[in-house]
Amino acid sequence: MYPTEGGDDKLDSLLQAYREACPDREPSANFMPALWRRIESRRNLTFSFQRMVRSFVTVAAAVTIAIGVYVSLPRAKPASEVTYLEALAEANALDTPENVEPVRLDLNEPGR
Amino acid sequence: MLVDFELIRRAQQGDSAAFNDVVLAYRKRTMGTIGRLIARTEDVEDVAQEVFLRLYFSLDQLRAPEVFEPWLYRLTVNAAYDYLRKQRRRPEFRMSDLSEQQVMMADAAAGGKAEHDQQQKKKLRETVDSLLGAVSEADRVLLLMKEVEGLSLRELEKIYRVKENALKVRLFRARQRVLKAFETSEQESGNG
Repeated sequence: MYPTEGGDDKLDSLLQAYREACPDREPSANFMPALWRRIESRRNLTFSFQRMVRSFVTVAAAVTIAIGVYVSLPRAKPASEVTYLEALAEANALDTPENVEPVRLDLNEPGR
Repeated sequence: MLVDFELIRRAQQGDSAAFNDVVLAYRKRTMGTIGRLIARTEDVEDVAQEVFLRLYFSLDQLRAPEVFEPWLYRLTVNAAYDYLRKQRRRPEFRMSDLSEQQVMMADAAAGGKAEHDQQQKKKLRETVDSLLGAVSEADRVLLLMKEVEGLSLRELEKIYRVKENALKVRLFRARQRVLKAFETSEQESGNG
């Protein structure tokens, strides 16, 4: 079924009547205060978000600089060049009589 | 234009008083447009505030005060369209969905003082709303902007940033679908 020409005119009239049935509306007294409250609320939200982003960027930059400085600093020389094992060996020398008996080789052992 | 260009320029520069004056000048017309686009009287003010909220935060992007009105219409259409899309996801009872007895009970509950004229207008709004259900939300808004708001194709071209021919085709198809729904409903009411 195709729409007819008469239907076209009727639809025009219906839409015109609809326009008249929905006139421009008067806003309530609360319209402007409520609008400004919404603007302020959105502005605060945006501001808080920007502040958070700025803080994050600042902290990230500070940490990056700190790591950079730490990595680039020349390492301080240790007080002694001696390694732990060397120091341990020195402290507990194997030939210290009170600790370890000297190895005895029995040259008369059978098989030798 | 309901305001002069200088006021819009001042509002663009962050003058709150100027912005306030712009809203005061346009709010009634904007609310009227929204009322016809969304057909829900209770939410009109909320959607209108959303339009002006978007205007406040996007005014600095306006190229020239001369294109302020199409810009505001675009914001209005977008806000109404967003609202309609949200509503589609939310089932809602309307008076036309209720039985006659339920309508009478609802009227009685509301005090039963509604005038006959108001009832007629309400019925008319519901009829058009139901006919426009034959097209998508986007086409519904486009059709209303052309047929009810009375905007020209050139104005719609500025609002939608779409070529006039493309708009013509879309409008023609949308109108044909609504017309078909209208004739079907007329036939049904004639038979019933």
